[in-house]
Amino acid sequence: MKQLVAFTVNGEEREIAVEPNRSLLDALRTEAGLTGTKKGCDVGECGSCTVIMDGKPVNACLVLAMEAQGATLTTIEGVQCSAEEPHPLQENFMQCGAAQCGFCTPGIIMMAKALLDENPKPTTDEIRFAIAGNICRCTGYTKIIEAIGRTAGTVEAQP
Amino acid sequence: MSQRKPEHDVIGRSVKRTDLLDKVTGNARYAGDFIWPGLLYGRIKRADVAHALIRRIDASRALALPGVKAVLTHQNVPRVLHAGSPHPRSASVTCDQYILDDRVRYWGEGVAAVAATTEEIAEAALDLIEVEYEALPAVFDVEAAQRPDAPLIHDRGFGHNLVLAPQVFERGDVAQGFAEADFVIEGEYEGGRPTPAYMEPNVCACQWDGNGNLTVWISTQTAFMVRGIMAEVLGLPLSKVRVLVDHMGGGFGAKQDLFQHEFLCALLAKQTRRPVRMEYTREETFLGGRTRHPARIWLKQGFRKDGTLTARQARVVYNSGAYGSHGPGVTIVGTSSLVSLYRCDNVHLEGRCVYTNSPIAGAFRGYGVVQAYYALDIQMDEAAEALGMDPAELKLKNAVREGDIAPSNHPLVGHGLEDCIRHGRELVGWPAVRRRGRDKGVVKTGWGIGCEMHGSSAYPGIKEQGNAIVKMNEDGTVVLLTGTAGLGTGAHTALSQIVAEELGLGFERVSCVHGDTDVVPWDIGAFASHTTYMGGRAAQMAAAKVKAQLLERAAALMEAPADQLEVRDNHVFVRGQPQRRMSVKEVVGARKGIPAAQFVGSATYHPTKSYSFAAHFVEVEVDTETGRIGVRQVVPVHEIGKVIHPVGAAGQIEGGIQQGIGHTLYEDYQIDMKTGRSLNANFVDYKMPLSMDMPPIRTVLLETAPDPGGPFGAKGVGEDPIVAVGPAIANAIHDAIGVRFRHYPIKPEQVLQALREKQTQPETEEGVPA
Repeated sequence: MKQLVAFTVNGEEREIAVEPNRSLLDALRTEAGLTGTKKGCDVGECGSCTVIMDGKPVNACLVLAMEAQGATLTTIEGVQCSAEEPHPLQENFMQCGAAQCGFCTPGIIMMAKALLDENPKPTTDEIRFAIAGNICRCTGYTKIIEAIGRTAGTVEAQP
Repeated sequence: MSQRKPEHDVIGRSVKRTDLLDKVTGNARYAGDFIWPGLLYGRIKRADVAHALIRRIDASRALALPGVKAVLTHQNVPRVLHAGSPHPRSASVTCDQYILDDRVRYWGEGVAAVAATTEEIAEAALDLIEVEYEALPAVFDVEAAQRPDAPLIHDRGFGHNLVLAPQVFERGDVAQGFAEADFVIEGEYEGGRPTPAYMEPNVCACQWDGNGNLTVWISTQTAFMVRGIMAEVLGLPLSKVRVLVDHMGGGFGAKQDLFQHEFLCALLAKQTRRPVRMEYTREETFLGGRTRHPARIWLKQGFRKDGTLTARQARVVYNSGAYGSHGPGVTIVGTSSLVSLYRCDNVHLEGRCVYTNSPIAGAFRGYGVVQAYYALDIQMDEAAEALGMDPAELKLKNAVREGDIAPSNHPLVGHGLEDCIRHGRELVGWPAVRRRGRDKGVVKTGWGIGCEMHGSSAYPGIKEQGNAIVKMNEDGTVVLLTGTAGLGTGAHTALSQIVAEELGLGFERVSCVHGDTDVVPWDIGAFASHTTYMGGRAAQMAAAKVKAQLLERAAALMEAPADQLEVRDNHVFVRGQPQRRMSVKEVVGARKGIPAAQFVGSATYHPTKSYSFAAHFVEVEVDTETGRIGVRQVVPVHEIGKVIHPVGAAGQIEGGIQQGIGHTLYEDYQIDMKTGRSLNANFVDYKMPLSMDMPPIRTVLLETAPDPGGPFGAKGVGEDPIVAVGPAIANAIHDAIGVRFRHYPIKPEQVLQALREKQTQPETEEGVPA
């Protein structure tokens, strides 16, 4: 029996009908049409589905859609500064080559955004710790850590 | 070619990759992101036995479940024997699988499929399908599988569960070589079962139109092979199958195969006349995916006192699992790789590939060479120790060089391996950094070196070709049509750079169309480190044809001979007279009643082979109380010819090192050796290196041995890094604690065990000769 759940996602108020056992991840990807959030494992092991819920990063696969009642959500689609201007994190991910296949990228950018929202000047070790639950299989993490550090201004741009 | 200016305008620069804006903003569409009205969800029922006949399979209860639209079993799917690795021009494909069979050959094999209106209903329906198995004796070990009394896993093939006849590679006289040796060393080496663990689980969606045309949205490295084998197995003309791939979330080799669910998805869509999507769970990427071949290698080498190699002999056994997949190719490429790296005139190698009732091994970055060079490079370290030589010195002394005959039987170009060893040695301060077990504390450090070489392209095993079409628009921009796959490497950006460079245009003037088998020229797929080398060269050749047409028209307009013209910065110049110029747009565009020119170039490139080289210098730390091994830093030095996109090339190297650290220290997909049941098919129990485990990497790219066959001298880089880092780690562990490991993954409990054993034995073999 489907139930209505209402939340604000990327500044837009949405009301969708979902089964009570529907994950927030499936609801975002299917009912809300926001496919930028990725499903890499569906059991909270990979971080690809990281979104920001009421200011905190969560694995959307481990949250029931019904739990998002009244919540404020930000997904990768809501990060850009404007239609023409990517967020500095997004810009630095491109500049540094911090994305390859791109499948983990939305989750890592959301995790990085949550980190910088709380701690604007993280050390390299704090960056590594913050994304310890996000699996990337392409990059070896070096360029991801560089991109986040550059955004925070704690890592210098390389020539 | 020899203008006095920066040699190149577009290549050699890290331009912004064209695929990244969509990836960082969440707009990139992967195959699993599409939704259609009426979409059904498919799921596979997987066997919970390792080897059995299906005596009875009954889907009636599943079909009765509301929401279930179709169920497929071996009784109602076409029975067509086909290859899992359908390289159409390879001599080494193994035709040994059906979409669904009445027999199960490994735990986790698909036995039925369901399409339903929701994933939950499809999942529930799987439990309602009744299967009665008649168990057959199962065999999981390659030695046991080759015994005369072992159960045969396939009715076809070469007997004794061999996937192909034993492969022998011979040069010179190995007996004579050992007779000439002052010192002979031999040992056994073993590699575990890592999996590619790409982040995007396998996914495909299928839809049929009223005219019987099938469209497939899929995550694959080999769209044209999917089209070919899908058409063949489903009995369709090639023109009725269209395969679409835009972005894909990694493959690392494994997404070259065709998987059961891809055929089943097409059949379910046909039967229900609705679009169907089938998406693996993470667990299924282990169960129904492909792994690296577990391997056992016996290796023996002879040396003169001065370190010169006189003989090398090896027996390599690869475990193919339940099906052949890439077993033949891996066996040939991996075994024959041992003729080279360190030059040796007398070589005898035998490679075998054996069926077992285990998960299917397939293509995975490094393709059999990871296992072979792990053994070879560790044994070189052992030999150096016994000979009283520095290992880097011994490797340098024997390193392959220009003119040496490569595994592909081509003469090598340049001195890439020597260059890498010399450069890295200087950079890290070798040999002073070596510890030789001298650290006194609980945590001991050490340095090791590992080397490798890897071919760009699968030639001569596969007679490959790269194809490209380049066409110019009336405003002077161009479109590149390429069949190469964008599996995350940035290949389409690199190919666009090559086209821009060849045509003298700015990078932003080139766009790239890919990922639609109805539109782009045929491509063999993204593998064998050949996309930039082979697809890039074809793109360069096609661009050169457009350039020739452009210059011919410009010659008439500018009243100068075409061979006196050149294109740069989006303009055509008369050579030596920079004031005589026209923009490319003016040349191609319409003028006074004359329509714009139509410039199209199409090219096919048949590659031979080139080799890239690397030497990795690695520092590790070993905690002698916990056994924990940490990698402190990696200095990878790669010789890859002309670098097209430096950041992209470095990204390949860093990612390859991550996966190489993974299989050397952590990753091993395990099965129960009694039942064949999978034990760690998830990302908690299958441990990979994460952000906290990764060391700093100081990547060095050398361009000292460009290959004339590649675009502007470029060679491949994708597979090299995963090969060299493994033996470098094992050798560094020896430098730290004096213990020699000859297998991967090397686990903390094994370190502790080895240290305990070392303490109870007097220091003899590990001591360094004076």
